[in-house]
Amino acid sequence: MAIDRRSLLLGTLAFVGTGSIGKAFAAAAHQTVAYVATARRSSGDFCILLLKADGSIVREIALSARGHDVAYHRPSGRVVVFARRPGTFAVAFELGRNTPPHIFTGGAGRHYYGHGGFSQDGRLLYASENDIAGERGVIGIYDVGRGYKKIGEHSSYGIGPHEIMLLADGKTIAVGNGGIDTVPDAWRAKLNLDTMKPSLVFVDAESGKLVAKHAMTGEFKSLSVRHVTQDKAGLIWFGGQWEGSPSETPQLVGSAGPDRELRLVDAPGGGKDLRGYIGAMAVSNDGRFIAASAPKAGHVLYVDSESGKVVGKSNLKDVCGISSEGRQDFAASSGFGVIRYETATASTISEHQLQDIAFDNHLRRVA
Amino acid sequence: MKQSLSALIAMFVSIAIASASAAAEPPTHLAMAQAAIETYVIPHVDALKAAAVPLPAAVENVCKSGSPEAQTALEKAFANVVLAYAGVDFLRFGPMLEKGRREQISFWPDPRGFVARQLRLILLNKDEKIAEPGMLAKQSAAVQGLPALEVLIHDKDVPLGPTEPARFRCLFAHAIAANIVRLTSEVADGWEKPGGWKDKMLHPGPDNDTYKSGSESAVEIVKALLVGLSLTGDLQLKPQVDHKIRLTPPYAKSGLQKAFYAASVAGLHQLYNSLRLEDYLKPDLAWMKGWAQGTWRTLESTDGVGGRSPQAKRPDTPSTREVFDRMNGLRNIVANRLSVAAGLTVGFNELDGD
Repeated sequence: MAIDRRSLLLGTLAFVGTGSIGKAFAAAAHQTVAYVATARRSSGDFCILLLKADGSIVREIALSARGHDVAYHRPSGRVVVFARRPGTFAVAFELGRNTPPHIFTGGAGRHYYGHGGFSQDGRLLYASENDIAGERGVIGIYDVGRGYKKIGEHSSYGIGPHEIMLLADGKTIAVGNGGIDTVPDAWRAKLNLDTMKPSLVFVDAESGKLVAKHAMTGEFKSLSVRHVTQDKAGLIWFGGQWEGSPSETPQLVGSAGPDRELRLVDAPGGGKDLRGYIGAMAVSNDGRFIAASAPKAGHVLYVDSESGKVVGKSNLKDVCGISSEGRQDFAASSGFGVIRYETATASTISEHQLQDIAFDNHLRRVA
Repeated sequence: MKQSLSALIAMFVSIAIASASAAAEPPTHLAMAQAAIETYVIPHVDALKAAAVPLPAAVENVCKSGSPEAQTALEKAFANVVLAYAGVDFLRFGPMLEKGRREQISFWPDPRGFVARQLRLILLNKDEKIAEPGMLAKQSAAVQGLPALEVLIHDKDVPLGPTEPARFRCLFAHAIAANIVRLTSEVADGWEKPGGWKDKMLHPGPDNDTYKSGSESAVEIVKALLVGLSLTGDLQLKPQVDHKIRLTPPYAKSGLQKAFYAASVAGLHQLYNSLRLEDYLKPDLAWMKGWAQGTWRTLESTDGVGGRSPQAKRPDTPSTREVFDRMNGLRNIVANRLSVAAGLTVGFNELDGD
């Protein structure tokens, strides 16, 4: 897409958006949509993309600001995309219907951290949020059938909840509490890096009671737990972002359970080789292999959950979005518009290049 | 005579052609990084280190004499450090990132009021051990650097001076000043020592644990430029445009908000020039160079709060809205056009991930 003075100016003027959402561009073809992702056009405009497996765009929904992750309820085809920290909008739509997206917020004094998930029956949506005045993380609870009306909150038992995930038991929510405090008036500034207390916690979805908490302490106190996924044995695998001295970067990927202590993966080269940053986590469809993307380093790290060993590491510049594909393979997306299919041993299966698209942090399989 | 005149003309023509082609020859990526480090980074970290050195003595003088002259001298010394810091605030990698030095030197923005909260506790407890070597470094970053010192310097209720109520405050203020000297010295040393960050960036390769190529070194500098444009736009200008935002400007107690903005923009412009990204533009995109130059003129024609800069080169005074939009446009053009034209791939996700 060519750029000219006009598009440049329009792109900049749109920066302080009003929160309005543009129209849908194309008719949805539910059966053909394989992935949903957020992205940026070269004009600087942000959008949600519904993609076929070959990377072609089925539908595009314009956003007034940058989106982040995608929550998906497979039986109903419902999708919710959350604004990126410290954004305040969420966009809901259905894969099989070409109706305008529904926009909702977390209410006054709240902002999203970009992640959420549906209950198994699809009646409730959970979102990671900041109680700004209260300086605490919360899990917002929304009634899907009532137009995503907010009906309650649980504590996240930490500051800066990032990815939250309803576990396979349908009763427990795993929360990556990044530990980082944000106030929208200071935009994305990290306000408490020297006192941050990251943790991986398990919360009872119904009562909101704390089930278990793994706090990052000592030499790991600056390891911000951000992204989570669950393997076939029920363990939670997490990827962190190191906020301490780069020279002291520890391992970034680990696992834990409500009843099992936290263990870090011994990745060759350590967290320094991953430039201190894991951007997304995914599990293979058979639940065995774990993928952790490291956009700053341009790697995807693959771990066999059975052995806990690294089995592959691929190279893709600015890779971040990662999702399962087939039984044991993965799809990875990059900020340079690439969608690549690869095995857990890091062999490339195929690759597609989209023009004019920078894929954002997350890619969600919906087929 | 006629022959020598022809020879002279031929020589001028060849020099002119050579100059033109030299000017059009873009720098290598490693040369970009080298120019930025040698002409911008090192002089600015050195300037910050030098500006910090007189600070402890200036605190001591006020605490001994309490005179208006000593107070003025302290405020001047403080302003020198703040404005020198504005030129390196966006170099958030390497020695500044290590050990959390940036937050310790300048804990801002502070929408939660951490500085005031932590200061209140320390002033209440009056534990003089805080002045012992290494003790302040164990406290919250909020009370280790410039914002905490600013509060003590400008507290009209208990001014620094040779009085009993100010005794602990003087001890504390001196410890902060000494801490700032240590931190700024560590930053400069981290860059300049043999095997330091300058060497690391200028000797990329397979064995380098951070920079594998000259391109990666250059990308680091471009990312710093983008961080600086974002910080200045989002934290200094945006609150002027969106009045719902409540954010105290940087060093407002000292009246340095405008000077901080000017120093930030001047630093970013110098860093931008040092990279020579525009040299890579093909003729059909040459308009971007003019647009960027016009944007820098706009950014430098405002005082950052809606007024006119003393250094303004534009005949009119741009509105803060225009300045904010231009700042974002410049960020967009550097990230998505100029760096791409230069063959530098600044990743969308790696730049500011979550």
